[in-house]
Order: sequence, then structure tokens, then C-alpha cells
Amino acid sequence: MTQLFIFIAIAVALLILLLVAMRRQPARAAGSAGELVTAKKTLESLQSGLLPPEHVEQVFGRRDLAYVEEMGSKDIRDLFLSERKRLALMWIRLVRRQVRALKEFHVSRSRMFTQMSWWKEFSLAFNFASLEIRCGILQILMQWRGAYAAPDFARRTAASAGRVCSTLDQSLAFLTPSVPVSLGTESDADGSMV
Amino acid sequence: MVAKNKRADVIAASEDLRRRTLAQTSSALDRLIYLASMRDYNTGLYVHQGLAARFSAEVACEALADCHQECFRELIFLGLKDLTEQLNVYMRSTGTGADDFLRTWRELEPYRVAVPVGTDSLVAQFLFSNLKVALAILEHQNSHVPEPIPVA
Repeated sequence: MTQLFIFIAIAVALLILLLVAMRRQPARAAGSAGELVTAKKTLESLQSGLLPPEHVEQVFGRRDLAYVEEMGSKDIRDLFLSERKRLALMWIRLVRRQVRALKEFHVSRSRMFTQMSWWKEFSLAFNFASLEIRCGILQILMQWRGAYAAPDFARRTAASAGRVCSTLDQSLAFLTPSVPVSLGTESDADGSMV
Repeated sequence: MVAKNKRADVIAASEDLRRRTLAQTSSALDRLIYLASMRDYNTGLYVHQGLAARFSAEVACEALADCHQECFRELIFLGLKDLTEQLNVYMRSTGTGADDFLRTWRELEPYRVAVPVGTDSLVAQFLFSNLKVALAILEHQNSHVPEPIPVA
């Protein structure tokens, strides 16, 4: 009788374990397509929206400040400086967030898709760490002294982030479909388009 | 091949739009406001009867979207001085009194709905910020213009 109870208890315990196992969220496949696409989009957003020199120049360049100073109005100057500070802080937060997202992606997933030399890995890790520190310093400087606190430092940070992006871009290059250049431009011997 | 032909149609429609309609506008800001007004608020699709009659509704929509993107990019790369001048020209072209126009634009910020779909948030914020400062500059200039002396 005691044995029966023990077997029933074991059966119930196993059943509960089974139910718990069934209720668990299925583990996401390492390097799932969604994560790859998100990483690629983050990379594109950085490369096309936040880091191009002409965009960086618009936020940190002094051309507009010179025009505002010509007005000779303190109110307009203050409004302009507070707007530029807001934009500069927004820029640095976005760059920082996206660089962090790329670092996390690289640490957890990217190495499954690419063969990087240990030197390149080390260099990338150093660049990520250096970028994190640079972004932190820039954010503090901008918070304290506004968009024109350290424009050259901002430009150099953007350039450095751009270099990290191009390294990562190479490791995600397989997501960019290659278009055959010759398609539709070659002709058969009879002159018909291929 | 179908996609290629359609693209050619869109290019032709864009050219047609630039030549017949947009050429009559005075600035990129003017074009941006005009093109944004062609977009249905609920669907986000652009509607232009004349262009749709010549091409197709779909091609017209795509051509308007392309032109909208184009003039938005043009505005983004303008310096604050040029943007202020464009805003001034646009304000005068509306026929509204400067005070009314500036107050309405400052309070309603109508330019916020004039950006193309899919615009990067920082880039859009950059334009909004510059327009806000441009409005303040015009208000400052407007308040410093001497009142015309009434003729007895």
C-alpha cells in the first residue's frame, strides 16, 4: 500500500514537472532572424541618421549660432541655445543607446555568424568601451554647458562610432542581398536581352 | 520588368509634378506644406486627382511621396538664416497678418504634421527646433518694424 502511494506521488510529481515544462516560454533560437534584422536596422539608423558628418555638423556647427548672435536678442539666443542643447542631448542618448544595443548583439549573437580574428575582437571590445566612456563624458559636458561644449570631441566620437559600425557592418554583410550587376545588361548573340 | 516600368512611371509622374505644380511654389517650405496637404490624415496616402488621371492613383501617390521626401531633405540641410527667410516668404504669401500667422504657428505648430512618413525622429526634431527659433526671429523682427505713419 505504501509503495502504491509512493508511485502515485512520483507520478503526480512528474506530471507537475511536465506541466511546468510545457508552460515555460520556448527559448528563442540563438541568432534568430528577428534579432539579426533589428541589429541591421540599428546599424543603418546609426550610419544614415545619426553619424553622417553633415548631420553631426548641423547639430554642432556654429553657422546658425553666428546668425542668431547677429540678431542681438538675448531671448532668441537663449531659446536657440536651449533648443540646440536639447537636440545634442537627444543625439548623444540615441547614439549611446544604439551603440549599446549593437554591443549586446555582438557579444551574444554576432560571433555565431562571423569568424573574427582575436585581434579584431579585442580591437572591437576596446572601441566599444572607449565609445561608452566618450559618450558618457559628452553627455555630462552637454548637460552642463550645452551643445557647443565640445563640438570637436562630438565629431571625433561620431567618427569613432562610424568606424565601429563599419566593422560590424562587415559581419552582418550576409544580410544585404547582392544584386548581380550584369542582370539585364547583357545580350545574347542575337541581340536579345538576357 | 513590371516593377521597373512602374518605377519609370513614378519618375515621369514626379517630373510632371515638379514641372506643372511645384515650379510655381516659391520655396522648399512652401512645397513641404503643399505636399503634406495632399496626404490623407487617416490613410497616410497622397491624393492628387490630376496626376492620378494622367498616371494612376498608386503612381501619383508614390510620386508625391518622393517629392515630399525630396523637399524635406532640402529643408533639413538649410541653415537657420535661409529657413527664416523661407518662412518669411511663406508667411507673406498666405496673406494672413504677420501677428496672426506667427501666433497660430507658435501655438498649433502645424509643421509637425508636415513631415514625410518614416522620417528619423532626430531629423524631424531638428527641423521643428529650427522652425521654432525661426518663428521667434520673425516675431522679433516684426516687433522691431516701425509702425507705418497713418495718412491724415
